[in-house]
Amino acid sequence: MTISTPEGTGQSAPLALEEQAPTRRRLADSQPTTTAARLKDSLYYLRGRGALEISAVYLAILLGFIITALVNPAGFAFVNSNNLSGVLSQNIPVLAILAIGAGVLMIAGEFDMSIGATIALCGVVFIRTANSAGWPVAFVATVAVGIAVMLINGAIVVSTKIPSFIATLGMSFFWTGVSIYVNGSTPATFFPGVRTDTMVNLMAGNYGYFRSQLVWLVLVGVASWFFLHRHRAGNKLYAVGGNAAAAAAVSIKPKAVRLQAFAFLGLMVGIASSLYVARTSGMQPGTTESYTLLAIAAAVVGGCSLTGGRGSVTGMVVGSALILTIENGLVLGNAPGFYVQLFLGVAIVIAAVFNKFMEGKAT
Amino acid sequence: MSTLTNEVPTQSAGVGQPLLSLEGITKNYGPNTVLKDVSFEIGKGEVVGLLGDNGAGKSTLVKIMSGVVPMSSGRYLWEGEEVNRVTRPETERRGVETIFQDSALVPTMSITRNIFAGREITNRFGFMKLREMDAITTEILDSVVSIEGIRSAKQLVSSLSGGQAQAVAIARAVHFKRSLLILDEPTSALAVRATEALLNYLVQLKGEGVSSVLVTHNLHHAYKVCDRHIVMNHGRKILDTPREDTSVEELTAAVVEGAEGVKRFRQGKPLA
Repeated sequence: MTISTPEGTGQSAPLALEEQAPTRRRLADSQPTTTAARLKDSLYYLRGRGALEISAVYLAILLGFIITALVNPAGFAFVNSNNLSGVLSQNIPVLAILAIGAGVLMIAGEFDMSIGATIALCGVVFIRTANSAGWPVAFVATVAVGIAVMLINGAIVVSTKIPSFIATLGMSFFWTGVSIYVNGSTPATFFPGVRTDTMVNLMAGNYGYFRSQLVWLVLVGVASWFFLHRHRAGNKLYAVGGNAAAAAAVSIKPKAVRLQAFAFLGLMVGIASSLYVARTSGMQPGTTESYTLLAIAAAVVGGCSLTGGRGSVTGMVVGSALILTIENGLVLGNAPGFYVQLFLGVAIVIAAVFNKFMEGKAT
Repeated sequence: MSTLTNEVPTQSAGVGQPLLSLEGITKNYGPNTVLKDVSFEIGKGEVVGLLGDNGAGKSTLVKIMSGVVPMSSGRYLWEGEEVNRVTRPETERRGVETIFQDSALVPTMSITRNIFAGREITNRFGFMKLREMDAITTEILDSVVSIEGIRSAKQLVSSLSGGQAQAVAIARAVHFKRSLLILDEPTSALAVRATEALLNYLVQLKGEGVSSVLVTHNLHHAYKVCDRHIVMNHGRKILDTPREDTSVEELTAAVVEGAEGVKRFRQGKPLA
């Protein structure tokens, strides 16, 4: 039996790991060559990765809502500038940016239960810094605090090896305490004149059918997509989350990569918090806790695995949009408050089950 | 002339300076000592069989050689020069590749991303050239290992069979190896013919000046291709012998009964 290496002469047969049929096709010969075939191939290998199927579901729901709204504009005011700009395009971006942060951390195999508490701290920092030094400085400070908080959380998780769930749950109380310590118990608000037109236009501007937050989501989403799916740093995240021992065997440092993922979440929380307070003009520590689980739910709905190694930016964004669009539809359909939670809960579980099922179909 | 460890170390079969010398390697995991004062050499272009029963310390030794696990004490000399901190980046730089027992692939990633994990082909900003990586992966799978059923480099490793995944792990190691290929039970997931092909490949590597270490339970496999055999027992090296000075029977005695078994065998007494 002859064997060759890639550097070999090309005369000998490859290391045949099984008995070969004489007509065995080379892998290289069966690869797509035309652009159309390549596209089809890429689409085929997107199945079960988390983004494709949930996007299809979301488009179907969106289409259903739009048709219902067009048939009955008075009873279901979905396609309406107030709803699109005032509800969807100001809520979805904040949650989606948080979900991208939470999702990237989940891909690396870790959790953070202190997202909500960190939003409160970041919001307080934004408002108080803006009051004394203006909003551009406040934005930078907020992002820096977000990253610092998450690096501290990450350092605790990585150095002590306690499960991140419990470590960051504990830290969640700590950071809430810190924000009350920094701010006092009354809500933080902007001084008159601090919330300038420029700041509002950039961070919460109303442009008819959409708000500036949507532009932020597009920018953050595209940058995150390139980071996660096309940059070698993103590849290392998947490797560490999928099999940390295998990653370490190819010179990847799992601890450093996990810390990077925590820092990335901090960046996202900083941005989302800034957008949040720019719109609400106030921050009361302790009122943002629900964002923690909502962000994680959005990431899971979007195909992130709770055990790490799976997920996509598209999925995280669509997961957030799906949750908030369904909630919006329930409210517009006049479901009483209690039922909104009920249906939302069911929708999240169904979406997660659906994703788990599709994951099994992945090739 | 083969020797028992307590005597003078054996001359490696390679020519000139050995590629890798390990001197007095000891490894403790907490209170447990899994390797005790292990020394041996791997010559250039030499195929070394590392044998021993379960728990003999073979896998730990492999991890130390490949830089994945640090040793507690001992010296690691590469071409006569001591490497102070043996880390995976250090061994990778020297062209050491290991096929681990558990294949060490990431199931949730594609074949391409697995093969290039940590060694991505990127532009100067660190963005991956995925199409180029896919093409090289396809080329590696075609030219290095040949196994049926893999349809695309984009397939997830979780969708491969055990043998196919092992083939990917072998392909990766073979592609990146430059000086030393370490195989830890590589044939566990392979069919008989595949195993044979892999063993023959090790012999061919010798001709290219690449050394290899074969860790296996299967003494017949080892005896067939290895120039030298090292037998481990309870964390100690008990036998280090060139192929021509030993036999499958002696190796069996060493693996099963340790140093006592070798002595008994050399005195012509049958296995207990």
